[in-house]
Amino acid sequence: MNPTMENAIIEARDLTVTYGGNQALAIPHLAVGRGELVGVVGANGAGKSSLVNALLGWSRGAPRVTGTVYLAGEDISRLPTFVRVRKGLLLIPEGKLVFGTISVEDNLLSVGAIEAKGRHLYSIAEIYDLFPRLKERRHHLGAELSGGERQMLGIARALRLGPSALLLDEPSIGLAPRLVSTVLATVRQLADAGLAVLLVEQNVRAAIEVVDRLVLIERGRIVAEGPAAAMRDDPRIAEAYLGAHAA
Amino acid sequence: MNLAQQLLNGIVLGHAYALLAIGWTVLLGVARLVNFGHGQMYMLGAFVTWYAGARLGMPYLAAGAMAITAGMVIGYIMQRIMLRLTLKQDLVTIMIVTLGFGYVLQGAAGLVFGSTGQILETPLSRIDIYWGDLWFTWQDIAIIVVAMLFFAALKYVIEHTGVGRIARMVAEDPALALLSGINVKRVYLGVFAFEGAAVALAAVMVAPRTPILTSMGFDEVIITFAVVVLGGIGSIAGSYFAGLALGLFTAFFGAFVAPAYTTAAAFAVLIAVLAIRPRGFAAAPGSR
Ligand SMILES: Nc1ncnc2c1ncn2[C@@H]1O[C@H](COP(=O)(O)OP(=O)(O)O)[C@@H](O)[C@H]1O
Ligand SMILES: [Mg+2]
Repeated sequence: MNPTMENAIIEARDLTVTYGGNQALAIPHLAVGRGELVGVVGANGAGKSSLVNALLGWSRGAPRVTGTVYLAGEDISRLPTFVRVRKGLLLIPEGKLVFGTISVEDNLLSVGAIEAKGRHLYSIAEIYDLFPRLKERRHHLGAELSGGERQMLGIARALRLGPSALLLDEPSIGLAPRLVSTVLATVRQLADAGLAVLLVEQNVRAAIEVVDRLVLIERGRIVAEGPAAAMRDDPRIAEAYLGAHAA
Repeated sequence: MNLAQQLLNGIVLGHAYALLAIGWTVLLGVARLVNFGHGQMYMLGAFVTWYAGARLGMPYLAAGAMAITAGMVIGYIMQRIMLRLTLKQDLVTIMIVTLGFGYVLQGAAGLVFGSTGQILETPLSRIDIYWGDLWFTWQDIAIIVVAMLFFAALKYVIEHTGVGRIARMVAEDPALALLSGINVKRVYLGVFAFEGAAVALAAVMVAPRTPILTSMGFDEVIITFAVVVLGGIGSIAGSYFAGLALGLFTAFFGAFVAPAYTTAAAFAVLIAVLAIRPRGFAAAPGSR
């Protein structure tokens, strides 16, 4: 089967994720276009991480994944994770997202052998322009960084590998409110620069301010999907996640 | 019994032990793997060197290169077979598989090389040096020099090069390394090939000191195990000093107490040290 959405950078069809017999995710179709920022929201355990991890064929557990994933029209479902990464599909995972025992600068030195045709590999100087804080901390170990600095380093590490699609799994978790808006503003900026971005968030209130589209997942299924403005008024979102009753 | 002579013996033996253990140190530090076939791989390295020299008439350097290449190939093949276990970090099965692999190597070596002991002579081991009342050979000097150079080079590579950075990333978090575009399987294969080459290098250098037997693998793996554990699981500098300490201990204990009980005494010390300092002399790079 060929990808159906014309300019989709990342597209998934009939994606399922199963952990030891329990299906955690079943999604018929999802696509993110160039320059588009799509938010994925839903309660704890809804299947958000399972979704972004499955797009890379990656997990810290041992799930069974079926379905087809396209990157810029190419079927990448059979490729190992590290090859998908080298082709420009980058994930900043939930939880541990930087190397703690090596320095910030070492975290940022790229691994080489990247197929970068038509993609922008950020230089270290560009990274430090984008995140001046990382420059100040460049000789510190990854483990010495604060939560916000780790998110910056996670994003920076991905940018060094020249992403065409960027997947972020709950970048705002545990951050102070001011930092949440800084991180999300950076994510918006990256989408505006042309990346396809899939942003997993529990902080729906903050996410809805920056995303183009919002996808609501419950128990592994997409239950609502649409432009941010329309979703703001959707009663399922308004009641459960924005803490207000729809007008 | 001459004190200075024992000190010298201990230093030579210590560098020999450190060299013997370095492959396993890297294996443990980078890949969190064990290889209980390590001793038999050492034995094979010694016999390949001996065969290439004594039977094929190759010069020592060429014979050594051949043994190191053979070690690298065997390490690679071994990891190829175990890769799925490695990715699951199934340590118990890996332990048994490598132990079994070692005994297969020993059996095969027995068939090919026979069960009689051989003397591995090199141009360096034939030259005795007398210096005051000290006696040693050029081989002893070569062991010390090669061990020092090898450890220094390895420490440099791990700490200051791209390859070393990738090794440290895989050591800390293989799953996260995949998300950085690192081919983790290839790192594991490379580390095992390095382990095979390193233990063969140790054999090329050290085996000429004593007669070689196809059954000598077990003693070698025991010493390696002691050095690696004492050195702090995966620490390169730690292994160097642990090897040296064990060499000195063995030399002095053997000379002044009783040579027959040296191994037993070494393990008594090992147990005592671990009871006091459970992580050995140093912490591992990327240790959890
Ligand atoms: N490694 C795993 N092993 C078994 N079940 C898992 C694993 N990871 C997630 N799950 C299950 O899959 C479902 C979805 O989890 P997850 O994708 O982490 O949700 P979210 O990211 O939305 O919180 C949950 O029911 C969770 O218990
Ligand atoms: Mg999650």
